[in-house]
Order: sequence, then structure tokens, then C-alpha cells
Amino acid sequence: MENETREKFIIPIGPQHPALKEPGHFEFSVDGETVTGATVRLGYVHRGIEKAAEERNWVQDLYLLERICGICSHAHALAYSLGVEKLAGVTAPPRAQAIRQLVAELERVHSHLLWLGVSAHEAGFDTLFMFSWRDRETIMDVLEGLTGNRVNYSVNVLGGVKADIDDARADAIRRGIDFLEERTQHYLKIATSDETFLRRTRGVGYTSREQAEELGLVGPTARAANVARDVRVDVPYAAYTDFPVQMTLDTRGDLEARFVVRIRELFESYRVVRQILDRLPAGELTARMPRRIKEGETVSRIEAPRGELFYFIKSNGSDKPERIKVRTPSICNFAVVTGTAKGHQLADMPMILAGMDPCFSCNDR
Amino acid sequence: MDIVKDILAILIFPAGLAVMAGGLAYEWIDRKLVAQLQNRIGPRWFQPAADIVKLLAKEEVLPEGVDSRLFYGLPVVALAGVLTAALYVPLFGLAPAHSFSGDLIVAIYLLSMLTLCSGLAGANTNDRFSLIGATRTLTQLFSYEAPFLLTLLGPAIVAGSWQISEINAYAGGHWLLFTQPVGFVVALIGLMGKLELPPFDAPEAETEIVAGAMTEYSGRGWALFRLGKNVELIIGLTLIAAFYLGGLSDPLGFLLKTLALLLAVAGLQALFARLRIDQTVGLWWRAGALLVLAQLLATIVLKGMTA
Repeated sequence: MENETREKFIIPIGPQHPALKEPGHFEFSVDGETVTGATVRLGYVHRGIEKAAEERNWVQDLYLLERICGICSHAHALAYSLGVEKLAGVTAPPRAQAIRQLVAELERVHSHLLWLGVSAHEAGFDTLFMFSWRDRETIMDVLEGLTGNRVNYSVNVLGGVKADIDDARADAIRRGIDFLEERTQHYLKIATSDETFLRRTRGVGYTSREQAEELGLVGPTARAANVARDVRVDVPYAAYTDFPVQMTLDTRGDLEARFVVRIRELFESYRVVRQILDRLPAGELTARMPRRIKEGETVSRIEAPRGELFYFIKSNGSDKPERIKVRTPSICNFAVVTGTAKGHQLADMPMILAGMDPCFSCNDR
Repeated sequence: MDIVKDILAILIFPAGLAVMAGGLAYEWIDRKLVAQLQNRIGPRWFQPAADIVKLLAKEEVLPEGVDSRLFYGLPVVALAGVLTAALYVPLFGLAPAHSFSGDLIVAIYLLSMLTLCSGLAGANTNDRFSLIGATRTLTQLFSYEAPFLLTLLGPAIVAGSWQISEINAYAGGHWLLFTQPVGFVVALIGLMGKLELPPFDAPEAETEIVAGAMTEYSGRGWALFRLGKNVELIIGLTLIAAFYLGGLSDPLGFLLKTLALLLAVAGLQALFARLRIDQTVGLWWRAGALLVLAQLLATIVLKGMTA
């Protein structure tokens, strides 16, 4: 009897739940409305991509790995291409690197706007959800015009890129960016001044800087807690040495800070995209790649929209990789949900979960 | 003969079919307005009716471990409650079908039946989302009910009557919106709390607890609850328009006034992020109840001084 009354009341969220756009399983034990503990279980969308990559050749893998994620597909293809090029000792031409960075930043814009909408929906703020997703269509159109696809742009090839940018295309991108910059100002205003919205974000899901370091958070979630961690700045890749970005930091560490950091990163992306368009290096789009990659192993790190994306690639000298290991940013950030859940209201949990921008299919692969 | 007339009044007009059709129409207008404000297209005009027809035709799943009498009975009681309340209000600007001294109190309690029934329905099932939803529904009931009641008391006190038709007649010459503005605002927001519309939709917050107390309901029971909510929407708007917007005496005035109110309600729905349940309770007791109480006291004192 004693045990029965002490038994925890557990609210399951997932694998199927309206708050989750992808399957994952969270169990929140609650006392009334207050959360007393949280556990996470992942792996519902495991597709065995890493194993499948060992059965395909280097070129086929590019397309396979791009399909790990529907939101940050370019990040995966880019990390893989850069890694394989490093192994083969080939460097993509400057124009190709600049276009890679351009697409990466456009993808960041699309990913952050998508996240903004999802988070607003978790807060019951559907108006912001609808508006941010409407504006996101602009960037989707830009990406479609540039690469031919709305998602899985397939812009990378080993040794370069496929898509080129002419003046008309550059103008179309500039127009899209101009429109979005104006809209983003508006969203920044909402995220920092809307009274009901602030009541749901200010002070919620707080992580101190020490806690963030300890949990090993990455990406905007870490930067919102003033952890200066951004691969684009720390170890510039692609063209980030020629077109550097400023790291966006915030000291507050709560949900509001995560909103502000992501929205301010959008402005940085707009600025860099314009800079690249203005000073796009001339020249070839691809460098010649060998069919077989020299034996060896390498690590390739890039900053995906959600944080550091890590690729380990090992070659045995054949036309197929021996092993590819992917570590996505989401797995690092899930700790923020389990780590900060205790003491929050149940209503805050979907917000905290969405606040770290989880990508389950990236994570499970 | 009177019995036949009563049955007709409950089944066909003014309660019954007419008010249900009105409720569905108002639900559509509300959804369409919110959709337009959110940059969406919104449903077609017959969508609410089509939903009800579809739900009525569907299988109703009885979950394990529930009291089946309660499970089937509660939606019927909820709808019956709001339909009965429709008899006492000047729907469509026509005189109420029934009227007696004190019918205001009866109408208010009949309107609360719906919330009470949905809370009980949630507590009746074993589903965790339903249980949390039921707790929230009842918590919310206790937070908005008192202020909402007080806002309807204000007009009753100045009119010197507890009878809806008499207050309506009194309000015909006095726009209480201007003399009791706090009451009007709180009444309108109270109605949104009653109907669990955003931003007061914590009891059915889909991103947390799926559909709250209604999670286990499907088919007919769910259709009846929804229908009840639609009827409550139109009755609530009628009451507020009758008390605060210069009374209701003709169908055209009814349409204009209630639609203006609905526009305000839709705007408020689109404007805010969802309040947490603790924030809802805090808002009602710290702001809503105190303000209305202060206004009520002022009304009573003024009335005492003039009399």
C-alpha cells in the first residue's frame, strides 16, 4: 500500500504525440503539474544508414548521407564531402567552397525559421507559427531556384558543387534575404517583448554556463548559455576563413536566450550571404576526385544549424568507405531536457524540448 | 398544449435545432476569422456541420476501466444543460422562450454544466492525459467562474432584477459597456476561459496533454461535447451582448452585436501565446476577480447613493 501511494504519476510524451513531429519517447514523472523527473528514450527512427554507407561507394554515400536529415541535409553532405576530400588530398575550388557556405547559411535560415514556428506552436502561439512558416517559404523558393530542390538540395559533389550562381540568381537571393531580414526584425521584437510569450520563455529551462559545459551542449543551445562554441569560428571550414561569421552569444541561458540567439544568428547569416554574393570568387566549380580514396581515417566537423556535426570517416583504399560514424548535435543537447526538467511545470516541457531543436531522425540515423 | 409547446421549444426553436445550427455557424465564423488572422485559409462554411455528422456516424470507442453509464451519459447531460440554458436567453434578439424571476442564476449554472461534465468525463477515464486535462479543466472552472458570475451580477444589480429579460430591457436604454467597462472586458475574457479558447486552452493543450479531458472521447460523445461548446459560444455571446451592448430586441441587432463580439474574441485568440494553468489562475484571481469586485462595490455604492 505504501508503495502504491508513492508510485510516480508518469506522463508519457511520445513515441506518438502531437508535441513531437518525429518519434521519440519522453517520460515525465509529475507531482500535480510539477515535473519531478524526466527520462528520454531514442532510436525509433533508426534506419541503419551508417551500415548501409559501408555497402555503397563514395559517390553513392553522398546521396545516402544527405538523407539522414530533411532539415539539415546540406550540413551532412558538406561534412561528408569535406572529410572525403581531406582523405583524398583534394581541395575544392574557392568558388565551390563559397557556394557551399552560401547554401549552408541559407539552410541555417530555413532551419531556424522552421524551429521558430515549431517552438511557437508548442507555446500555443499559432499565429507566430503560421507567419514564420509562411516566410520560410521564401527561403525554400530561393533554395529551390538555386539547387532544384526544396529539401535534400544535393548541391555537393565530391570535389566541388553542382550549382552555379549567375547575376539573376544572385539578385533573386538578395530579394529573398531583404524580405526576410525585415520579417526577422519583427520576430525578434515578438520574442523579446510579447508579454504572454515571455511568460512562457523567460527563466524557463535555465542552464548556467558551467552546467552547459558539463552537459556538453552544442550549437545555439550552448551559445545561449554563453558557451563560446561554434565550429564556423573555432575551426573555419569551406569558405568561412574568407567570409567569417560573428559568434552570437547570450548570457541568460534560458529559453528566451535560445530564441534571441537563433533569431540573431539569422541576421548574421543574411549578412554573410550578401557578402558571399558580392564577392563570389571566380573559377571552376569542381576539382577532380579519384574513384578510390587513399587508405586512412579522418574527422570532419562542421556547424550544422543545431550545433556541431561530427563525421568520422575511415577508408581502406577501396571505392567504398570502411566505416562512417556520424554524431549529430541533437544527442548532445537532449541532456538539456533531462537536466533541467525537474521543478518545471508540465506545460514548460514541450517548450524546453522544442527549445533545443531536437532532430530525431538525424539522431537515430 | 403547453407541454407540446415546451417540447417544440426544446427540440426545434428557440433551443434545439435552431440554436445548434446557430452554434455551428458561429463556430465556423470564429474558425474562419482566426484562420484569416493567422494567414491561413480556414474551413469551408459547412465544415463544422460536416464534422458533427461524420462524428455521429462513427464508432464510439468505450475505453477500458470507465463507468460506461457516466461515459455515455455525460455528453448528453452537457448538451442538454446548454440547450436548456438557451430557453432563458434572448436568442436571435427574440424574447426568451421561458422567463421567471431568477432565471439568470439558473442559466449561469446550466452553462457551467458543460465544463463540469467534461471535467468529470476526463476524471472518469484512466487515461493520464485525460486526468491531467480534467484537473486543469476544473482548476480553470474555479478560476474564471466567480469573476464571470460577478460580471453578470453587475448589470443585474443596476437593473434591479435577476430576470434575464428584464435586465435585457433595462440594458436597452443603457449601454453598460460604458458604465461598467471592466465588467464587459472580464465577461468577454471569462467566456473565452469557459470555452477553453486560446490563450486559455491549457486544459486541452495539444502539445502537452493531447486533447485533455476529451482524449478518450470519439464518435458520438465527442460530437455532443463539441456541439455543446458551440451552443455555449452563442449563448455566452448573446448574454454579454444583451447585458453590455445595449440589449437585444431584434434579429438584426443580435447579429451585429454578437458578430462584433465574436470578432473581438477571434482577435484575442490569435494574439496571445497559451497561458500556463498556474498563470491562468493567477490572472483571474489577482486581476479579474479583484477588478470586477471593485467595480461591483462601486456600482452598489453608487446605486445606494442615488436611491
